[in-house]
Amino acid sequence: MRPEGKWRLIRFSITALAMFAVWMLFVWSLDLFSLAAGALGALGIASLTYDVFIARHQANLRFFLPRPVHLAIYLCLLFLLIYQASFRMLAAVVTGRASPRIVHFKTRLRSDFARMVLANSITLTPGTVTLDLNDDHLTVHWFFCSTTHSTAAGNEVKGRLEAYVRKVWL
Amino acid sequence: MTAMMIREVLAACIFAAAVLFGTAGVIGLFRFPDPYSRLQASALCGTTAVLTTCVGALLLAPSWAVASRVIVIIIFFLFSAPTGSHIVARFAWNAGTPVWRPDRLRTLKGRRKAP
Repeated sequence: MRPEGKWRLIRFSITALAMFAVWMLFVWSLDLFSLAAGALGALGIASLTYDVFIARHQANLRFFLPRPVHLAIYLCLLFLLIYQASFRMLAAVVTGRASPRIVHFKTRLRSDFARMVLANSITLTPGTVTLDLNDDHLTVHWFFCSTTHSTAAGNEVKGRLEAYVRKVWL
Repeated sequence: MTAMMIREVLAACIFAAAVLFGTAGVIGLFRFPDPYSRLQASALCGTTAVLTTCVGALLLAPSWAVASRVIVIIIFFLFSAPTGSHIVARFAWNAGTPVWRPDRLRTLKGRRKAP
């Protein structure tokens, strides 16, 4: 089999397996009917959409397969940061004190999926909303701005998040 | 019986926290002047409110089947909520909406520059 066809098969099977896993989590039963319906649905949808979920040029398994232990650590950290940011926002809503600015910085993550996760986490966490993501360039609205220097702002906003995302996805 | 009661009381506390976050989000939505800051307050506090409610529901779940569904909902919500607020913010940014700066008067004093 040529490398192209092999890569296509790998992408297809990973998409189908992921969909089947979510289906099993959702129905939570081992009936023959639900197993068959899930398998059929997963195969059918994966054959249509595997090229959208995992693009052809994302040519590394670590680009979209997370490392489970690090993923768990990352999710715990994310929950912690969401609550920390929410309490800060609560205080800002009460006092009305804030210093919103727009900052730009770059990320060192390489895959589209990891960058998407980083942008989403930035939107979720420390009083920041991602405005734009062009390749590795992020434009962020930062609500509690302390500096507009690109590298310093990047360290402050991404902080530990990027380091952990790098451990989960490449 | 007592274990169930403890769970219910804990869940009630968590739901109360969710109500607090949701209220803060709504207040922030009306308090801040520009779309970005309003989005910050409403999106962040709204996300936290829904997440907290889901955690409370997880605590009250009668079986693993229900708990797994709540977990799937949390995962989908963690993907969809920031994406939604990002799309709104991106449109505001591309339309050239200026950013609210509370210290504008102090930094621009003497320059008489139109905002």
